[in-house]
Amino acid sequence: MIYIYIIGVDMAQPRVFCLVLLTVALGAQALTPSHHLSLSDVERLKGLLSQPFTDLASAYYSIVGLSKLGASVADENDACQFLKAQLDPMSVDSLFFAAEASQAISDCEIPVSNETRDILLAAVSEDSTVTQIFRAVSALSSLGLPLASQEVVAALVARIAKEDNVLAITTALQTATRLSQQAELGGILEEIEDLAARLDDLGGVYLQFEEGLEATALFVTAAYTLSDHADTEPPLKEDQVIQLVNSVFSKKSWDSRSEAFSVACAAAALSSNRFHVPVIVSTQGPATVSHSQPILHVGSTLLLQSSVLVESAQAVASKSVVLSQAPFSLRDGIFELNFMAGQPASGYYQFTVAVTGDSRLVANQVELKVKVSTEVAITNMDLSVVDKDQSIGTKTSRVDYPFKAKGSFTADSHQNFAMTFQLVDVNTGVELTPHQTFVRFHNQKTGQEVVFVAEPDSKNLYKFELDTAERKSEFDSMSGTYALHLIVGDATLENPILWNVADVVLKFLDEEAPAAIQSKTLYMPKPDIQHLFREPEKKPPTVVSNTFTALVLSPFLLLLILWFKLGANISNFSLSPSAVLFHVGHACMLGLMYIYWTHLNMFQTLKYLAIIGSITFLAGNRMLAQKAVKRLASK
Amino acid sequence: MSNSVISVISRFLEEYTTKTSNKLKVVDAYLFYILLTGALQFLYCLLVGTFPFNSFLAGFISCVGAFILGVCLRIQINPENKGDFLSISQERAFADFLLAHTVLHLVVINFIG
Repeated sequence: MIYIYIIGVDMAQPRVFCLVLLTVALGAQALTPSHHLSLSDVERLKGLLSQPFTDLASAYYSIVGLSKLGASVADENDACQFLKAQLDPMSVDSLFFAAEASQAISDCEIPVSNETRDILLAAVSEDSTVTQIFRAVSALSSLGLPLASQEVVAALVARIAKEDNVLAITTALQTATRLSQQAELGGILEEIEDLAARLDDLGGVYLQFEEGLEATALFVTAAYTLSDHADTEPPLKEDQVIQLVNSVFSKKSWDSRSEAFSVACAAAALSSNRFHVPVIVSTQGPATVSHSQPILHVGSTLLLQSSVLVESAQAVASKSVVLSQAPFSLRDGIFELNFMAGQPASGYYQFTVAVTGDSRLVANQVELKVKVSTEVAITNMDLSVVDKDQSIGTKTSRVDYPFKAKGSFTADSHQNFAMTFQLVDVNTGVELTPHQTFVRFHNQKTGQEVVFVAEPDSKNLYKFELDTAERKSEFDSMSGTYALHLIVGDATLENPILWNVADVVLKFLDEEAPAAIQSKTLYMPKPDIQHLFREPEKKPPTVVSNTFTALVLSPFLLLLILWFKLGANISNFSLSPSAVLFHVGHACMLGLMYIYWTHLNMFQTLKYLAIIGSITFLAGNRMLAQKAVKRLASK
Repeated sequence: MSNSVISVISRFLEEYTTKTSNKLKVVDAYLFYILLTGALQFLYCLLVGTFPFNSFLAGFISCVGAFILGVCLRIQINPENKGDFLSISQERAFADFLLAHTVLHLVVINFIG
């Protein structure tokens, strides 16, 4: 019997809640919550709130927050004493924290005096901030003091016009929940819708204020508390509610006490308001059923008065409906259903589970994926060695699982090795086609491993044939004894199989025995590569170069001799300054060329050349002019 | 045939030694020197290969460039060509020669590597 396990939450204690995960439904389904607080998350929340408090504000958050979660502080008397001690009767904030916290503790009374009342009443005016008005009104109502609701409404409306931010309006909504129901709360109720329009939609999954988690949680609390108080359904659509649930409960560790407090308040508001109660349904433990474990556990947060039923269960592979409108039975607050009674075939099933019974339920239809697993058995395993030309009859031997075949099978290049078998479901006898059916050959000596796939034919009979000649490249033509293993596996099988069926001796032709490239040596360091540096160009022997250097310089000597013979001389050399300067400058230019060759780059050279060149030019110009004058004069 | 060649050559040499002025002979000697240097460099390259090709090119082009500039100088200072170069005095020709050589040397040194 399979029992679907659902955790029921007793709605008689509206303060107890735990939101359980709702699996995300894929496909064209309504949005379902993807975040929730599990029991451990709630414990963590309580833990954060239970930390010792040092001032009135943290005392307030802790005491009231824990009470929303259905828990209480460790020592109530101590807490009460703390509140009375820390109270500053002149401060509105102090009075608010103390009054609210004392309400949450039983038998804790804060002393009230006329001055207290006057201070609180004075805070209710257009000149105080919304927070001040809220705290004053809450303190007044918690302390049992009378207050004029209409005046408060007027002050709130005036303040909302001035303070238009999210937190202020949320606080105004909270204030309205403390007022008498006869007051005109219509204008403030409309603010819920306006505020909801300000929420940011993130990816269609989250809906939150840009001010953050705390603002969103406080808004949820305020909206639902006020809607309950005014008995008007809040203008939030089902999808919006789910998105708000995702936003508020996506964070599992909270930064501050006030954030934890806001989350606790939101959770309490969502689980016990009169209009929208999100419900969460999920499986407890793996969503798998089988013959040995026919129980499918499903948890949810819910009222006991509801009923859960499977609207339809459809096999994923064949799309046939296996179950329809089957109700769950409730046992110890847990919903159970027997699924294996219908003898479903192994595989995956898509369940559509609905929770009914309360019109407030939101997101009460869920898709769950359930796996039915089974055990497989191998039958009719026949091994044979078939001759290729079919001249010799086949020798078939049957092997039973888990034993190994007695003799070994020999196949050389003229023969094929064949294997046939069937896979059946142990419980139903139905033939199975699991995902993985591998045939593995393992050579013990060389460590080689070759894996093939066995394929089923149309009658679900598995066949495997090894053509020795054709497949020799996969075996690297290594003849020898190979251990044959059959591997069967699938997600829906509880007993995957690795079975050493037999030993097969394979003989290959032209064995190259490439012993070098074995898997063992594949990962050994390879031989070092010696880097060959670029060979320098072949240069001629130094003798030749030296000879030619001398040869190339020799015409200069010839030139000098020729000039001497011609009678070229420097007798006309005038020692005028420009001539000297010119020759010096020219010599410098030639020297610069040499320095350029050895040290400088083009830019530097051009710079120096410009300097020297201009001097040389000017001097040379002068000198040549003088020479020209002399020449023309002598003519 | 060879007779006429020899006679042409001997006639040419005779005319050359008598008619050309000393200045031009000086320049001719310089040109001959440049020619020899270039030819020897080329011979070396043929024998040994063009290994530092840039160096060979730098050296060879230096010789070729110098030869050309020398020829230009010779043309410009030859008094027989005065009609063609009315605005260019001998000094000016020499100054041009020097300037062009500066540029040539700059390029050659850059390329010689």
